[in-house]
Amino acid sequence: MSDQQTPASTATPDKPKDDLTPFGFRDVPKSQKAGQVAEVFHSVASKYDLMNDLMSMGVHRLWKRFTIELSGVRPGHQVLDIAGGTGDLTMKFSDLVGPSGKVVLADINASMLKVGRSRLADRGYVGNIEYVQADAEHLPFPDNSFNAVSIAFGLRNVTDKDQALRDMARVLKPGGKLMVLEFSKPTNPLLSKAYDTYSFTALPFMGKLIAGDSESYKYLAESIRMHPDQDTLKAMMETAGFANCKYHNMTGGIVALHVGIKP
Amino acid sequence: MFPGPTLLSAASAIVETALNQALEFDPAGRKALLAALTAPVQFNLTVPVALTLTLTQGAKGVLVGSQPATQPGLVIGGPAMAFYAMASGDTGAIQDGRLSISGDTALAHQFQRAIEQLSPDWEAAMARHLGDVPAHFLAKRLRNSVKWSRDARHSMASNLEEYLHEETGALPGRRELEASFQDIDALSLRVERLAARVEFLPQSQPPSLPSESSEKQENS
Repeated sequence: MSDQQTPASTATPDKPKDDLTPFGFRDVPKSQKAGQVAEVFHSVASKYDLMNDLMSMGVHRLWKRFTIELSGVRPGHQVLDIAGGTGDLTMKFSDLVGPSGKVVLADINASMLKVGRSRLADRGYVGNIEYVQADAEHLPFPDNSFNAVSIAFGLRNVTDKDQALRDMARVLKPGGKLMVLEFSKPTNPLLSKAYDTYSFTALPFMGKLIAGDSESYKYLAESIRMHPDQDTLKAMMETAGFANCKYHNMTGGIVALHVGIKP
Repeated sequence: MFPGPTLLSAASAIVETALNQALEFDPAGRKALLAALTAPVQFNLTVPVALTLTLTQGAKGVLVGSQPATQPGLVIGGPAMAFYAMASGDTGAIQDGRLSISGDTALAHQFQRAIEQLSPDWEAAMARHLGDVPAHFLAKRLRNSVKWSRDARHSMASNLEEYLHEETGALPGRRELEASFQDIDALSLRVERLAARVEFLPQSQPPSLPSESSEKQENS
């Protein structure tokens, strides 16, 4: 790993380490992380889809497609799409659950939710979708409410991931499935090197060029490196109470889909 | 393992797009196919590479997946060539066991009927881009070419068959072969029956009669 990937603490020395959480390569007080993440997404919301297509060269659609395929969602199911952003997964889930089912698109960020709602309504996705501004750590839903819960490219932005996973387990029905689609660690060292170079040079440059914001995309690259690797996240899911946890590496491990079942 | 999830998703996305675009040009066939997909239909390809494709009814068309369905209504498995044969109208692929079928047989019949009824209007598709007259002209040429190539293929196959069977005598004729196979089957059956009877003979032998010498001794 290059020097730029080493986390550099900027927290005040008198703060206990327990109260800090990574925000990219910096450690920030836990109480501030949500606000800082919100700033990032307020800034990129309008160009989010375009940037996703450019940054991943369109492959993010295939990663999401695979997630939908593994979801096992059927007509009549209740689905929660956490950090649903501009509604890519929600759109597909809406097709699958049909008029007798329901999809809840939840996002902590009002700007992303607004963009997502407009986008889905413009494409005719109405009737079986609800929009909720919600924090993944404190989901405002009763226990055992959903057949499937998904969180795509959102978990790494959550301050307390263990608490979020526990709350996802709480709202799932017994036998329900959690799908965590997130950037992970490439399995091939060569790919890893190329990916690092791309993330820390091309991404901020593209962010500046397209969205006029290089800092947010620098945060994106840093937050990916700070996110737990495949096995660590699997262990976290098991600790949160999920059974049959497994992961599927995609595109050489750049992204991994973790799946767990609520017993 | 190759192909990975990303490639599989790409493949299923391509198939889904192509299938739904083709169905757009056959509204009646689309309706029948969607009605037939009351449960997911799963295809398990075994050779040359292990692949799974599932067809599911979606709100806006047929959904194609690359992962096994949770509760498939019908599962058809076999090598790629057998699927190709079935798609070309060779129903023998199922009868002779090259393709295995499990699940709801009613769904299988309904699905087969829906597939047979499909007839996308390619001319309309071309007319969208080229205009009615050029599309009709081109479609007519294409139809003639397809018909000519099909006739030529059948004709060549029957000529070759006739040459090998009748003129060179390199291969026995189909009827001659079938008669020989029937004779062999009949002979095999008779041999089996004979073997069974020979085996049965010692058991069915009557108890042995007293010998003449012992009878004489008793008389004296």
